[in-house]
Amino acid sequence: MTAKGFDPEAVVDAMAPLLGLTLTPESRAQTLVHLRIAVEQAEKLFSVPLDDEQEPAPVFTA
Amino acid sequence: MTAALLDGTAQAIAAAIGTGDVSAREIAQATLDRIEARNGALGAFTDMTATRALAKADAIDTARARRESLGPLAGAPFAVKNLFDVEGLPTRAGSKINRDRPPAKADATVIARLEAAGGVLVGALNMGEFAYDFTGRNVHDGPSRNPHDLEHMTGGSSGGSAAAVAGGLVPFALGSDTNGSIRVPSSFCGLFGLKPTYGRLSRVGTFPFVASLDHVGPLARSAGDLALSYDAMLGHDDRDSVQAVMPAAAASPTLNERVAGLRIARLGGYFARSADPSATSAVGAIARALKAEDRVVELAQAEQARSAAYLITMVEGAALHFARLRERAQDFDPEVRDRLIAGTMVPGAWVAQAQKFRRQFHATTLALFREVDILLAPATPCRAPRLEQTTFVLDGREMLVRPNIGLFTQPISFIGLPVVTAPVWTEGEKLPIGVQIIAAPWREDLALRVAWALERDGVVRAPVATLY
Repeated sequence: MTAKGFDPEAVVDAMAPLLGLTLTPESRAQTLVHLRIAVEQAEKLFSVPLDDEQEPAPVFTA
Repeated sequence: MTAALLDGTAQAIAAAIGTGDVSAREIAQATLDRIEARNGALGAFTDMTATRALAKADAIDTARARRESLGPLAGAPFAVKNLFDVEGLPTRAGSKINRDRPPAKADATVIARLEAAGGVLVGALNMGEFAYDFTGRNVHDGPSRNPHDLEHMTGGSSGGSAAAVAGGLVPFALGSDTNGSIRVPSSFCGLFGLKPTYGRLSRVGTFPFVASLDHVGPLARSAGDLALSYDAMLGHDDRDSVQAVMPAAAASPTLNERVAGLRIARLGGYFARSADPSATSAVGAIARALKAEDRVVELAQAEQARSAAYLITMVEGAALHFARLRERAQDFDPEVRDRLIAGTMVPGAWVAQAQKFRRQFHATTLALFREVDILLAPATPCRAPRLEQTTFVLDGREMLVRPNIGLFTQPISFIGLPVVTAPVWTEGEKLPIGVQIIAAPWREDLALRVAWALERDGVVRAPVATLY
């Protein structure tokens, strides 16, 4: 899995009605800004290889 | 005398009340008067609890008259970010939507503990909506303003907490920190801020944002008050499902232990690359004072840690508010709403990867703490931007202010490390900037000890703003 091929415009336009979200044009534009930032973050994250066996930390214990 | 006490520390107020130099009621009334006088300019308080505060102050005065022992915070006023439950108030968490909630039936655990130590709650404080904020802007309540320059932001999301403390309204306040929301406003407003280890302090009675990243902690004008308030809040809470079972070791008694033997290093790489000269020189000043200027270490994959925290935040935040986004989208602050909407559309696989990476990053970072005791890094990449500013240039690239102020705080809270932010002032500059003093998990005492030593030696300080 990587972030490659993730098209924020297509995702917003397809998912908003499926999720029951009504976006004004202004809200759609800003949602796109933030989804594009998410794609950038995901690309950085996926630059680190992780083993299949790597355990997650959904409830973190320091 | 009362005015001087209000500009000083909680510790000094408690001492003066203990000796009878001033009554708790005099302090409480003077605090309430000061809030009335200054809050219009600062936008710090959203609610005042005057009747309750005066009753509590009277109870302290009565206890003293009866020669009963007083707590370490006896008569010290404090206030809390309005995501903490305060009995009788709806917990608004900076939102319009939450004002429809019924009034809280009880105080948050940490408020109850501070009051048990003698603290006097005087009100609740402004914040970025639902804590998804690094600026202190709020469309419903207006922005909190930086007391050192009212045209600049406080930082967020604990913006009202920072404005209240830097403005001299209270000696300390509580905030919450998911990705930097205590450390960023502490940096911008020139305060000491403590984000304890994840799972250290009870979050019961606080409105959540990102359950796997949320912390609570104090902001203050002295490291001693940070330690005092932190100590009062320690202790297990059976109702908190993520709180770790750890001994409640008080930090205050260890503040004067030696700093000289600690292994201290600056963080290089990611933490140096995107910082502007004010941030770099602040870290340098602290490193020099601690005789650690020659030791630089790398926190491997810090940039990816920030990315992972960013994605987890988007998705957990969106999940929390999903129903409200469908039903009451128009009632959100637009700056927050559209980030949350974007979070509903982030693939689950990205978040699962982020949580797997978190475990790996945790392990590599703990290994680093076998070689060092304290890491130093900027708290923010620059001083407080202007209130209306929406973009800034970092590392040669223009980017949005609101999502990016926390790029140095996010990798640290991602794995729950304890941090004290300490404020550095430069001759001729109106605004301060903070440095993160980062310790290994459960070693808040070390970070507080270093901050205390720096304050004692005059390297860092947190004066009340002089705009009045």
